[in-house]
Amino acid sequence: MASRIEITLKPDLLDAEGEALRRKAGDYFGIRLDGVRSVHIITVDAVLNRDQIERVRQEIFTNPVTQISSLNPLAVDADWIIWVGFRPGVRDNPGATAVEAMEDLLGIRMGPGEAVYTSRRYCLQGKDLIAADVQRIAAQLLANDIIQQWKIFSAAEWDPAEGVGLILPKVRLDHTPTLTVLPIDSDRALQQLSTERNLALNPNDIPVIRGYFLDPRVQADRERVGLCEPTDLELEYISQARSDHCNHNTFRGLFHFRDADAGKTETIDNLFKTCIQTPTRALQSRKPWVISVLWDNAGVGRFDEQHYYTITGETHNSPSNMEAYGGAITGIVGIYRDPLGTGLGSRLIMGSYGFCVGPRDYAGDLKPRLHPRRLLDGVIEGVRDGGNKSGIPTPFGQVLFDHGYMGKCLVYVTALGIMPTTVNGQPAEQKTILPGDAVIMCGGRVGKDGIHGVTASSETFSAHTPAGHVQIGDPYTQKKMHDFLLEARDQGLIRFITDNGGGGLSSSVGETALYSNGCEIELEKVPLKYAGLDQWEIWVSESQERMTVAVAPEHVERFLALSVRHGVESTVIGRYTDTGKLHITYDGKPCAYVDLDLLTAGFPQWVFEAEWRSPAARGLSEPVLGPPGDQNQLLLDMLARPNICSKEWICRQYDHEVQGTSVIKPLVGVGRDVNSDAAVLRPVLGSERGLAFSQALLPFYSRIDAYHMTACTIDEAVRRLIAVGGDPDHIGGVDNFCWPTIQYDSKNNPDGRFKAAQLVRSCQALRDVCLAYEIPLLSGKDSMYVDGHLPGRYDETHKVSALESLQFSATSVIADITRCVTLDPKMDGDRVYVIGETRNELGASEFYDLLGYVGCRVPQVWTERFMPRYRALAQAIAQGLVASAHGIYRGGLAVHLAMKAMAGELGMAVDLARIPAADDAGRDDVLLYAESAGRFIVTVNPLHAESFEALFQALPLACIGHTVAEPRLTVQGLSGKNVIDLSVADLKEAWRKPFGDLI
Amino acid sequence: MSRINALVLTGYGLNCDLETAHAFELAGARAERVHINALIDGSVSLAQFQIMSFIGGFSWGDDHGAGVVQAVRMRTRIGDQLLRFVEQGKLVIGICNGFQCLVNLGLLPGLGGNYTRRSVALTYNDGGNFRNDWVHLAVDTESPCLFTRGLHRLELPVRHGEGKFVTDADTHRTLRDARQIVLRYAMPDGQPARGAFPHNPNGAMDDIAGICDPTGRIFGLMPHPEAYNHWTNHPQWTRTKEAAKRGQTPMPEDITPGVKIFRNAVDYLAA
Repeated sequence: MASRIEITLKPDLLDAEGEALRRKAGDYFGIRLDGVRSVHIITVDAVLNRDQIERVRQEIFTNPVTQISSLNPLAVDADWIIWVGFRPGVRDNPGATAVEAMEDLLGIRMGPGEAVYTSRRYCLQGKDLIAADVQRIAAQLLANDIIQQWKIFSAAEWDPAEGVGLILPKVRLDHTPTLTVLPIDSDRALQQLSTERNLALNPNDIPVIRGYFLDPRVQADRERVGLCEPTDLELEYISQARSDHCNHNTFRGLFHFRDADAGKTETIDNLFKTCIQTPTRALQSRKPWVISVLWDNAGVGRFDEQHYYTITGETHNSPSNMEAYGGAITGIVGIYRDPLGTGLGSRLIMGSYGFCVGPRDYAGDLKPRLHPRRLLDGVIEGVRDGGNKSGIPTPFGQVLFDHGYMGKCLVYVTALGIMPTTVNGQPAEQKTILPGDAVIMCGGRVGKDGIHGVTASSETFSAHTPAGHVQIGDPYTQKKMHDFLLEARDQGLIRFITDNGGGGLSSSVGETALYSNGCEIELEKVPLKYAGLDQWEIWVSESQERMTVAVAPEHVERFLALSVRHGVESTVIGRYTDTGKLHITYDGKPCAYVDLDLLTAGFPQWVFEAEWRSPAARGLSEPVLGPPGDQNQLLLDMLARPNICSKEWICRQYDHEVQGTSVIKPLVGVGRDVNSDAAVLRPVLGSERGLAFSQALLPFYSRIDAYHMTACTIDEAVRRLIAVGGDPDHIGGVDNFCWPTIQYDSKNNPDGRFKAAQLVRSCQALRDVCLAYEIPLLSGKDSMYVDGHLPGRYDETHKVSALESLQFSATSVIADITRCVTLDPKMDGDRVYVIGETRNELGASEFYDLLGYVGCRVPQVWTERFMPRYRALAQAIAQGLVASAHGIYRGGLAVHLAMKAMAGELGMAVDLARIPAADDAGRDDVLLYAESAGRFIVTVNPLHAESFEALFQALPLACIGHTVAEPRLTVQGLSGKNVIDLSVADLKEAWRKPFGDLI
Repeated sequence: MSRINALVLTGYGLNCDLETAHAFELAGARAERVHINALIDGSVSLAQFQIMSFIGGFSWGDDHGAGVVQAVRMRTRIGDQLLRFVEQGKLVIGICNGFQCLVNLGLLPGLGGNYTRRSVALTYNDGGNFRNDWVHLAVDTESPCLFTRGLHRLELPVRHGEGKFVTDADTHRTLRDARQIVLRYAMPDGQPARGAFPHNPNGAMDDIAGICDPTGRIFGLMPHPEAYNHWTNHPQWTRTKEAAKRGQTPMPEDITPGVKIFRNAVDYLAA
């Protein structure tokens, strides 16, 4: 009853997909292919007659202008053929839309168990191709064995009548849903269960959990509903709720901090409370624009009288490290549900990305699961499809290469939304739940996705076990849900909304039930992707694209009808109560009956040992370097560094103009090719008010001191906003920590105490700088355990830990977007100014890294000195005195002078002797490459010079030269001779060269 | 004069509804965002509209060829209504995914008055990837297309992975001779791009960026005029502003070339 349609492009048309594969095989592996054609295969597992299948072939799956197709294998010339399809249970988005299209065209409904599966075969031509090459292309370019299966056919093996055969990756569980009661006779027995069932219960929590279930009052309550010992579902629920992911045990932990240099010890109780919550609350009380922070899915700030903006960010590291595309698309689509689930719901207005991976050209002995190049390709594509198909612009992003990310990559995703200040007269940022409200699950269905995360990846696969622990986000389903929920919001149908992310229903229902103080869930009502899930699996599954909504009983009917209008599945799965209990049944039989306040009662705090030693005590010192003679070549080499060079190919894949709100784009300047300091949007189309957004990520400085890493990162994000015209009185922040494991272990984590001390110092810098710059932390997340164990040359394993990394995102509101400026100098003859002094701060700089040093003198932030100059610059921009502005960031003055010259395609002639500098910075290389914070390069129309300078009285400002018509950067050194003299074309060639061929 | 009503189609992964509605409003129309299913279940009727816009986005994820599934659904459910709308001399614009949908419906190119035949296609970019960049466009000023009246050259953003215009030689000749090739990708000086990347961003035959039907009332284009609804959408606007401040160039007009395309449609109907 299954049938198969093969589709391919007509032979005279370029096969761009095949061509991309041909190019990659050559570029990545030196495998020469003469040609590649791709064939799309639609396998229909449904009862259809010949006419029906013929009709869908012609009307849906074949474009008569460009494609040919057949129900039999197409004859396409090939020396080798690779077939790639999904494993069972992996989200097949095209398969799902094929079902929708076929049902629509034929006017039928496919039955349970009927499905459409998509796959591809690639027809490779190459005279000298050998099996090993083809295997390499399949395994390292086309397929990832976690989610995909593949077959290879030589020309001799290929049966033109049979083709790839009929392959149906159908999930068959043949399992009756079973609830298991777990004995808790002793702590040891529970610990053993936790290990066997991957519950990941913290050993310190086990006595508390047992104590609860052994409490006679609890036992009596449970007996009344027909339960005695805990069920697997209950322990899974507790495990989820107590996980570091959901509960932030690390940040709420107790740190015994020893400063080994000073010989002093102090105890720090709860970094979250002391360094994030308290400062933010203090700032909130002074800043009326801070609307809602520290409790909802995203933070809320005021945009204008009628609108609030929402923002949050997180990471999706471990899944992306296993399956880059799936992890990244799930990450970006997932973060978009947070603003959607904030207040009564906000509409998404932008997203951003931060990718940290190993060196793209890594050729060493370590064998990560995915080579950094492949991993980067995958995460780029995942965020591309997730963002673009959601209709949300991606106008900002960062990519960073470092060996430390070989162990585990970082994929940061950030999302912003906007909402009206009131919905039906009610404040839009507030929400609550009343007993009797319906619990409704909207969006996708539930399968074995994401259950116990990556631990499942070590299990063996059979042909029909679902490989669902690595997910593939589905932006299409979510976009429909997004549109639906916003309409429901505006009709006043939503009482409470939150997303289903980590922990699935267990988290979303468990947490929302606290608002009414109870709920009753009928688990059999939850729609499933396939039968056979155990009750606990339904409860904790992390299947994507779902929201949990509380709807008043009188609105349920309208809510469900609107859901149908939008082609979205919504199901009432229970109701909220005020019993104090989480009560779950399946077909009327009890599965869980737990006091909701169990989670707030008496679980022990996590404890960490932290030991700080200063950089000098750790043996770091400044290198002894003579001055470079060839400054021209040095600058060209700096511009070609992977962390500096052009990555235009990534920005251009991301739709950054959808919604029509773009004001400052990711790439600006005459050639539209230099990265802007920040993105600016006009999120309310009828208004000229703007929202500015920037991010910074400077993990390199953690090699010396994570305190200064953090301070510099925040300072850079702030300067980026100021450079485009941001308002220093309105800066919102989002902190995203990614840290290696900090729990000391003599064998597995011998430097854990130092990493813990770095975290403490980082949090202290976050507190200090945010208070000084008056940045409330609108949102934030932490992701610990950024380590990996990689096999080496002899199959020994190496633990590779990431640099202590903090991504800081910052927002500002701009009263009039037409005042914004970009970094490109606009006219020749303008004055070039540097704001801020340069110090001998080359520690962990890009320049030192080029030469193989770390050094010691890391850049530092003096907030009280910096802020007045930021205010002065903001005022100058607001008064229209500034033609261009740009912060001096990674790479230092030379690199950022080059960025400006390249952006304006104008020359600049500057004199190092005029640069405001500390006494110890009196050397050309220090002035050119120190990464001192607090600095900008600005160009000003000479007519405005006087007014501009007047704003900077008593502040470090100097005119260092002027722009010139001939596109040439000339820098006069302290000796009075030109040390740099390069054409803009030469600069651009060097800067574009590393990744310039990528599209 | 009663206001012109413009329908902006939404739902199933379409995503340029707000800015398209905004562009219509700036052009003087009354814009209404209407879900595809509202047309299908009859709760909203096409009769009350004079302009219909098929907007950008990823309908049904574009999983089976961009705009294909949307075209199947609309042809199957409301194909007759669409043909009636066109027969009544009303206007249709398809942008990006909407253009892809129009060619899959057959509303474009409408050769010989046949509005159901698929004779042109928009397929995968030669670069093999989605691309967002601004392009220069040259307008065929002899075209019957009423949306581009008074426009000679303009710049707009493209944002697509499947925008390469393809057809057979005969159809191409017919389109060219009937002046239905409205927009071509061009060099910054207005000369044809002749396929040169990135000026022609996708490898489109004859640099074709937009076509109309023989009457000029149905217009489809890959670039996004609605994303150029404010002068600060232009990638060089900060340069334009600085030059204007120094008296070297005039400040940009309030109505952007992008909105002019919508204004032309409204003016045509109001006349």
